[in-house]
Amino acid sequence: MFRPRTLQGRYARTAYLFLLPAILFFAAFFYLPIGNVVATGFRTGPMADQWAGLDNYGQALSDPAVRHSFLVTAGFAVMVVAGSIVIGLALAMAIDQPLRGRVLFRVLLLVPYLTSVAIVGLLWRNILDPELGVLNRVLGAMGLPGQTWLNTAPLLTIAAVTLWQSVGYTMVLFLAGLQGIPETYHEAAKIDGADAWRRFWRITLPLLAPTTLFVSVMAVISGLQAFGQAYIITGGGPGDATDLSVFHIFNVAFRTRDFGYSSAQSVLLLIVIVAFTLVQLRAGRRGEVTY
Amino acid sequence: MPSHPSRRDLFRLAGAAAAVPVLASCAGAPTTQSAAPGTFTVYWNAGHDYQAYRKVIAEFEQANKVKVNLQKYQWPDLRTRLLADFASGTVPDLVEEPGGWVQEFAISGNARSLQDYVDRDGEAMGFPSDWQPVTVERNSYQGKVYGVQLHLTCNTLLYNQAMLRDAGVAVPTTWEEFLDAAKKLTGDGVHGVALNQDYTYLWPWMVQAGVTPYDPETGKVMTPIADAVAALQFQADLVHKHKVAPVPVSGTDYSGPQKLFSAGRAAMILTGPWDLEPIRKTSPDIDLGVAPPLKHKVAATQAAGVSMFVPAKAARPDLSWDFIKRVTALDVERAATKETGMLMPRVSWAELPEVRSDAALKVFADALPDARDSSQQVRLTGKLGKWEEALKVMYQQVLIQNQPADETLRRFAASAESFLK
Repeated sequence: MFRPRTLQGRYARTAYLFLLPAILFFAAFFYLPIGNVVATGFRTGPMADQWAGLDNYGQALSDPAVRHSFLVTAGFAVMVVAGSIVIGLALAMAIDQPLRGRVLFRVLLLVPYLTSVAIVGLLWRNILDPELGVLNRVLGAMGLPGQTWLNTAPLLTIAAVTLWQSVGYTMVLFLAGLQGIPETYHEAAKIDGADAWRRFWRITLPLLAPTTLFVSVMAVISGLQAFGQAYIITGGGPGDATDLSVFHIFNVAFRTRDFGYSSAQSVLLLIVIVAFTLVQLRAGRRGEVTY
Repeated sequence: MPSHPSRRDLFRLAGAAAAVPVLASCAGAPTTQSAAPGTFTVYWNAGHDYQAYRKVIAEFEQANKVKVNLQKYQWPDLRTRLLADFASGTVPDLVEEPGGWVQEFAISGNARSLQDYVDRDGEAMGFPSDWQPVTVERNSYQGKVYGVQLHLTCNTLLYNQAMLRDAGVAVPTTWEEFLDAAKKLTGDGVHGVALNQDYTYLWPWMVQAGVTPYDPETGKVMTPIADAVAALQFQADLVHKHKVAPVPVSGTDYSGPQKLFSAGRAAMILTGPWDLEPIRKTSPDIDLGVAPPLKHKVAATQAAGVSMFVPAKAARPDLSWDFIKRVTALDVERAATKETGMLMPRVSWAELPEVRSDAALKVFADALPDARDSSQQVRLTGKLGKWEEALKVMYQQVLIQNQPADETLRRFAASAESFLK
């Protein structure tokens, strides 16, 4: 058996041996399926058994439905990212105060994040239904006109539901970031005459940059990968107004039965997500500050 | 032996633990569900788990010494699971399908021809002579039978008798009368009619307007297009122009109109027998009326209903066929109808005394001969999934988003004619 001569080599071998189960797990359940999807993207037919070369990729790049679903997804991701950062940070700052019952408040905000998207989707579908939903009954009882958001602003509505579910998690991340900022910075700034707004812009926000970067990267990834919201709440409609990319890919695979074409679209989406993530990481690292 | 393992021992253990899943995966594919001894796997719709079928399953298990694994799904989930099964080669013994899949999977080679069984047992079980002709046609491909219809349904008019009586409105029989009635019935928080967001509810209107969904001879879609536009615009106008129907909400659920009807918020709905039971259960006080399909240019309605087929790789097709024979027997149809009010595909079922004497069932049974299968010609192209996706988008754009029917339908037709070639 191979036996490294140096101590460093032995340590490395030890490390790799301990990593081996995780590597095998990821290989079996992540990398092999990804490789399979990449390979399927070059094939066509109901059983994806005919060679198609780059045809699927060419078709995807010129397909108006693919372009439309990507634009819908991009819009959805922008709303989710912006909402995650703004609302998550606002909640974290509110909860970072010495208020009574703040632990309960934190738990209540985190509960939706722990709930399945299927349950959240069904819950909001029933709340928002214009005819039989709870919300319109409440609005009606208050003498207010009913809402029809699922029909008039469906993308914004599912983005809002997504934020309702996920913002508790981003709040916890921002709260951890806020509590990691030494109080001395704020005290020193106060002595120098900086008001609360100025301290937020000059101290809090810059020092939260790593957290903001993490939150935005995670929100972009989850926004571009969103599926359940369209599947459960709107069915991709009305029309194709909420035809999110993954939902579109799912339909190409399991409704139109074109696994080759759906695989090619999956690979393209993967490339887009990786590209976005790399750009964000590079831009985010440039903006990091230390005091 | 030392009480504490050495580092080398730990390495060995870690290596062994890591090797287990790898070696396990090399041990060969697991036995298929079909081949699992003693288990007979059936994929079934979650809404069709009737006591009448449970009785058949018990008898089937006893006769064949197997245990039936009845896996229940909603249609989209059943399809996802089934396609994954086809890809993996692990298939169930029998599949219930919502209409249209039999020919699709016959074309792709995933469904087994049942013609040899039909040749052997057909006469004794009354197949195809005792089945409504449309049900045999929609389950055949290139002259061979690939599936057997389990339920045959159609779409007709359900109405709240008390509401119509109070408003002094006669039961409508034509589109014009329907619109007039809906106008009179709308008010005080009640909609004259509730339309469905599901695109399949487009078809009764289209077939009544004399529209042919797809003509493979000419390659044309939705002809005559002017009549198709008029039929589509008529539905949109009920919602947006006349405001006698609420704007439907897009989703995966097609029970919205039934819920409004059950809640006393809609006076009329156009639907099938699947809504009878929920209405009677949730609102037993509603005086439910069932009327024949509306008439326009043609006396027709949409045929629907589920079938069963056997996957090509199913290991025990003899057992699968035995199950099909048992579950489609006239006595079982009769029991299922008594239990749920569901309509059945046998001609002799439509003549049963209990069907003829039931006011609701009789209307449906009488409408069945006029029921049309709208997707038959599209299915045979193998492009049904793409067609349905495009149709859903077009229908909701007009019905929900109030886009002009003319422009939207013509755009759909041009696109469909292109991919159906």
